[in-house]
Order: sequence, then structure tokens, then C-alpha cells
Amino acid sequence: MIGRDRAWTGSFIREVRRDPLVQLLSPREHTRLVLTMSALGLLLWGALTWQVGMPVWGATTMVLGLLLVPGGLKWRADMRQHGVTIMILSVILTMQGFHSVEHLAQWIQYHVLHWQPQRSSGLISAANAEWVHFIWNWGVVGIFALLILRGVRNRWAWLLLGWSVAHTMEHTYMLVRYLQLKQELGLLGVPQISAQGLPGILGRDGLLSTNPTLMQICGRVPGITTISRIDVHFWWNTGETLLLAATAHRFLRGHLTRQ
Amino acid sequence: MARQRKTYLLLLVAAAVALLVANGTWPHRLGAASVPPRQPLPGAVRTVPAAVHAARLNSGTPCTGNFERHALPYTTTNGRAPIRMFNSNGSGLGVDDLDDDGDEDVVLANLAGPNAILWNEGGLTFRKQSLTHGDSRAVNIVDVDGDGKQDILFSRHTLSPTLWRNLGRGRFVEDALPGVEGKVYATNWADMDADGDLDLVAGAYDAGLEKDLGYNFMFTRSGGGLYLYENRAGQFGYNKLSERAEALALALPDLDGNGQPEIMVGNDFDLSDQTWRRSGVGWSQITPFRKTTHSTMSFDLGDIDNDGVQEVFASDMKPYDQDVRTLAQWRPMMAQMPHQPFKGDRQIMENVLQVRAKDGTYQNEAYDRYVDATGWSWSAKFGDLDRDGFLDLYVVNGMIANDLFHYLPVGELVEQNQALRNDGQAHFKPAPEWGLGSTASGRGMSMADMDNDGDLDIIVNNLGRSAELFENRLCGGLGLLVDLRQSASPNTRAISARLTLHTSAGSFHRDVRVASGYLSGDPSRSHFGIPNGATVHSLDVRWPDGAFTTVKNVLANQLLTVTR
Repeated sequence: MIGRDRAWTGSFIREVRRDPLVQLLSPREHTRLVLTMSALGLLLWGALTWQVGMPVWGATTMVLGLLLVPGGLKWRADMRQHGVTIMILSVILTMQGFHSVEHLAQWIQYHVLHWQPQRSSGLISAANAEWVHFIWNWGVVGIFALLILRGVRNRWAWLLLGWSVAHTMEHTYMLVRYLQLKQELGLLGVPQISAQGLPGILGRDGLLSTNPTLMQICGRVPGITTISRIDVHFWWNTGETLLLAATAHRFLRGHLTRQ
Repeated sequence: MARQRKTYLLLLVAAAVALLVANGTWPHRLGAASVPPRQPLPGAVRTVPAAVHAARLNSGTPCTGNFERHALPYTTTNGRAPIRMFNSNGSGLGVDDLDDDGDEDVVLANLAGPNAILWNEGGLTFRKQSLTHGDSRAVNIVDVDGDGKQDILFSRHTLSPTLWRNLGRGRFVEDALPGVEGKVYATNWADMDADGDLDLVAGAYDAGLEKDLGYNFMFTRSGGGLYLYENRAGQFGYNKLSERAEALALALPDLDGNGQPEIMVGNDFDLSDQTWRRSGVGWSQITPFRKTTHSTMSFDLGDIDNDGVQEVFASDMKPYDQDVRTLAQWRPMMAQMPHQPFKGDRQIMENVLQVRAKDGTYQNEAYDRYVDATGWSWSAKFGDLDRDGFLDLYVVNGMIANDLFHYLPVGELVEQNQALRNDGQAHFKPAPEWGLGSTASGRGMSMADMDNDGDLDIIVNNLGRSAELFENRLCGGLGLLVDLRQSASPNTRAISARLTLHTSAGSFHRDVRVASGYLSGDPSRSHFGIPNGATVHSLDVRWPDGAFTTVKNVLANQLLTVTR
């Protein structure tokens, strides 16, 4: 029985290694550099936060900056080996992966550590601002559209584009409300008060949760109109990451095999 | 390849399920706090005879589909300008028939001015009688000495409560409650030790006491905390249940249905609400609720779905509107006093509605039933305002505090009182068409049929503005009023009795209590709304000692007096 399990595990690992997505994301010849930079980054992160007292977001940004070195080298190699389209795919997959880690950190801070929603800002808390979300998401939509234009066309890609546009619409709505609230706070003479953290279209206290028609038809829909803002964006990003992975997997399967 | 795909899928589903479960979004009841199972009443069902007197109710004024506002000749004043915490908490009121003329009278507490009785002279006209002092908070109208006449108890902010003993014929004499020395804020009454008389449960507002009387005072015998004063032949015995309290509300529900009340204290600020249950000769704390309000302002109990089990509503502070103008008024204040959760903290800063499931656990369903946000809420009470057989909810709100709202004109957060109509499925919808959206900064509030026409009117004690009476002129339905009397018991008004009215449209449940909401006394007279077309079958009375009486041949539009 144990032998069968070992054989199954071995074959599973071999299959995962053969997966085109894993092949693309593997640092390959830069593995040692990535591991070294990661170890260095972790040490630096610990030293800066615990010893120097640097805020977590500052230390995390520095570590990400360190990882950009092997990242840049790897993406250059991707471009030389597979061309621009696959290099873009490699970059966006990596960045979306780190973005998902940030949302996972927020989720853990809120649900596991029971921090206040305002405090559950992830590892790069300074970047948890409506402007940043807005620009990031429109940027991501642009990249997905570019990928489609450059031939990454499959059903997952179209789903991904739709999903990311919907996600970005929510962030656009939130930015508009944020700016309106800033203006109102200014009129009240308290412009220093934060307008960050307003609910969007989905989730608890969101636009849909107070929609009279929905209220009439089905009341508050579990999940759609009940989960917190942190959960809403965690799930938006989880969906986006999974769809991106499926898109890339489907595209690379054909493409890398041909190469 | 297919196996690989299957493995990925399996991992994905497992991860999603793990996240959902950890997220608490599904399944809903996971991790609910354990509460004791519903106990059957001790002993066999005992029926007792009772005399029933029925009087026809007034026909009332023609309906208009809304409430008509009347300003009452009374204003709770503050005496200090600008208003700062905790004077902004205002005062309560009480409603009951003080002179046994069949009309409900109103007693209003004041901070700076004198308290007052508004004697109901019929036709919604009132004669004002000022009492000597103010500095008062809660009002309870209760027969303390068991002589059959309703006395008045005022809690006072920095002094022990004062009793106005009813001598009959509209005469009162000021007295003290022997043995009650605590400087208490919220008060309520029930037979807590099952000896037949009424005991006092009282909670202090420690933050206010500390501010006005100093930190050292808190260590004295009468400083702060939660008290149970057991009535021992008119002398009240001292029992301090908790050293700390920020009590704005007290409820005495029978959560486990064993006929004995528990004590629920609603605390302001970070101090969690507490629930106490009698165990042997003492009291022990229980945790029946998975979530509670953070700044608990009021409690009310009501069977909103007519299933025979009372739900518990607690009000807190959360803007009723999510538009930017409203949020801009709230944000700076919330930045000043954020909720800092601690390990094991069950508090949330919004109203909660505790609904009891079949397995005996309570679940907060305020958000799902649209009662989570009613503004800076003070008194909140259930009542069948539209007489459709389902309890509606009315919440008074608003805040005036120059130190908190310095960025708003005269430091006032102006809000509209919220009337929420029960849609028959125990979900609530705003009913602005009822005309109850006063912006006069309400604090105490009670519901009673002030003109004996079979519907519930509403009286509000506002801060700094005239008290208001909202005359119910909604159309539809009929009413039934019930007075209970126990001639051979010191609990003459049968406080804690349970009434069940059986009709062709279902059974409706009420309980007789002294106080609910925020600092506000309830009438001992119970009101039932009877939907259009429904016929009344009978009325069951479960007396405070567990005995039953069934009244048959009940007709709508009557005031029934059931005397045991």
C-alpha cells in the first residue's frame, strides 16, 4: 500500500513538473539566485521589521525590490526563449501571484488574527488605497486585453477578461465614492479623515445589499451581499488568479509543446 | 492527463471548501455558541380561574394611513451648553395607567428640568404635573409595594433611585427604596427569586459615574456594577453580580423557557454585554449569543415570526444609509472611537437580532432581516403598529455631543427615526410613509394605546426638543388590549406573565414587563393587532407562577381585564 502511494506521489510530481505552467514559472537557470535573494530578503525583512522597527510594508517592498533582480533576468530569458507574448504572460502570472499573497495576508489578518478591517491591509498596507486598486486593476485589464490581441485566445481568456472588467468596475465605483466622500469630508472641515474602505457593489453594505428590487425578490443573497469587503476582494482576486492560470495553461500547452 | 486534471480539480474544490468553512460563510451555524436546551415548565400544567371584564374600545379617528404628530408640553433639558457626553444620553419615559381611569398616562424623566407626569384626560389631551427634581434617567412604572397602585421609579445619574409612591387619586409621595443605594442607570423588574414579589435589577453607567464622581468612588459599596436587589418584604437585599457595568439597557427574558427570567445587561463601549442565569441560590454568567452589539443602547424582546419563541433585539450605532453624505457625518466620529476588538470579542458595531434556532442556539440575523442599521439608535421597540398580526420595529435616534461632532452644526448628528414594517416573513422594510421619521433626537420611547382605539401610539422623549406623541392613524386591522391583575399577589400587574392570543390568522404572543428599549417603561397593558378578516378564538394567560388561564369568547376591539 505504502509502495503504491509512493509510486502515485512520484508520478504526480513528475506530471506537475511536466505541466507547461510550472515549466514557464520555474526560475530554471536562475533558481539559485531566486533562492538566495529570497533567503536574503527574508533575513532582511526580519531584521528591518524587528530590529530597526521599519514598517512591514516598507520591508516587504524592499524584499520585492530584491526579487525583481532574478525576476528581471528570468523574464528576459523568457522573452529570448519564447517571445514577447509568453514573457508578458510570465510577468503577469508572477505579479498576480504576489497580489494573491497580499489578499491572502489580508484574509488571515481579518479572519484568523481578528484584526479590524482597517488594520487588515496586507503586507504592503501603504498600497491599500483606492487609487492604487483602481490603477492596478485597469492595468491588469489592459494586459489581459493585450494578451488576447497577441493571440492568447481561448474560452478561459475571454472569461478572464470578463471577470477582470467586472472586478475593475467595482473598483471604479469605489474610487468614485471615495472621491465623493473626500469632498464631503473637506466640506465638513475634516479633510484629514480617511475615506478609505467604503463598501463597493458587492458584499456587506454594498450597493446590491440595499437594492430595493433585490430586497423584494430574494432578500440578502448569501455571499453576494453578505460578505465583508476583504472577502469580496479576496474572492475577486482568487477567481482572477485561477482564470489566469487556466488561460495560461491552455495557451502554453499548445505553444510550449510546439516549441 | 485526465488524472492530472482530476487531481487539480480535487485540490481546487478542497481549497475552496476549506476557505468557505474558515470564512464562516458556509455552513452558517458553524461554531455557534452553545446555549442550554429549552426546558419544559416544571410540574404539570395548572389551570386557575380568573374573572374577565370586557369594555369596548373607542371607535377612534378616521384613518389616514400614517401617524399624526402631536408635540407634548414637555422638554428634556440639559442645563449645560454645549452638550457633551454623557449628558447627550438624555432620559427615558414610562407609560401606564396611574389613576386607574382606563387611560394611559405618561411619566417623563428630565436631566436639568423637573420630571413630569402628563395626565391623560382623554382625546389625546394632557395635563402636566411637574415633580420636584430632574437629574433622572430611567423611568419604571411598577407596583413596588403590592398595594395595587402603580408607583414610579426614577433612576438618577449620580444619586440612588427615587421612588414616587402612589397614594391613589393622583397623589404621590417621594420616597427611597429601602436598601437600594447604588447609583444606577438602567433598571428593570421581575420576580427574580420566584417568591411572588418583584425584585429590582439595576445597572450603573460606570463611565458617567467615574467622570462625575471620580475614580475612587468606583470602589465604594455603591460604586458602579450590576446589582440584583431582592425584595424581602419591602426591604431590598443587596447582591452585586458584576463589579463593572456600562448599562444602558436591561432585559429579563426567559431564554430557555423554564419560566424563570435571566438577566441581560447591555453595556456601552468595549465592555461586553452579559447574560446571567439563576443557578441554585446564586447567579452564574452564560454566553447564549455568538455575536452581541458593541455599544448596546437598548433591548427589546418580541416574537417577530409568531412561532412562540421570542427574538431578542439590541440596538447599536450604524448609519442607516450608505450614501456619502451620511458616511461623511459618521467617519470622523468613528475615527475618534473605533471598536478595538480583543481576543474572544463577540461584539459588532451594528444592531443584532438574536433568533433562536430549533437546536437551541441563537444566531444574529439582523443583517439578513434588514434591521442591522438604524443610525445612532437609542430606544428600539417592537409593536404591531399596522395591526397585521406581525410585530414591527420602531427606533429613535440622533446624537448631540459637541466633543464628538464638533464638525457638525451645534454638534448634532441629525437623523430620522426609523420605522420598519414586518413583511409577514419576519423581514423588515423601511416604512417612511407612516410619517414617523422625526428628527428631534429621540432617546426614551414607548408604545401604548393612548386613545383606547385599539392601535399603538408612540411617545418619544427627545433631548432639547418637545416630547412627541405619534397618534396611530394607520388603516386596517383591529386591536385587543389586555390588563392582567393578581389580587392575591404582590406582583399585582402580573409582570412576566405570557399572553397568547389564538386567532384564525395564527397565534400571537406578548409578555408583560416593566421596561424595555432605552431607559423606558412599558405599559402593563398588552396590545394585540388582529389582521383584517381574522377571527379571535381564545386568549391563554400563563401567569408568572406558571399557572394557566384560558379566556374564551374573546372579541376584538375590547379592553379585557383578567383578574386572578
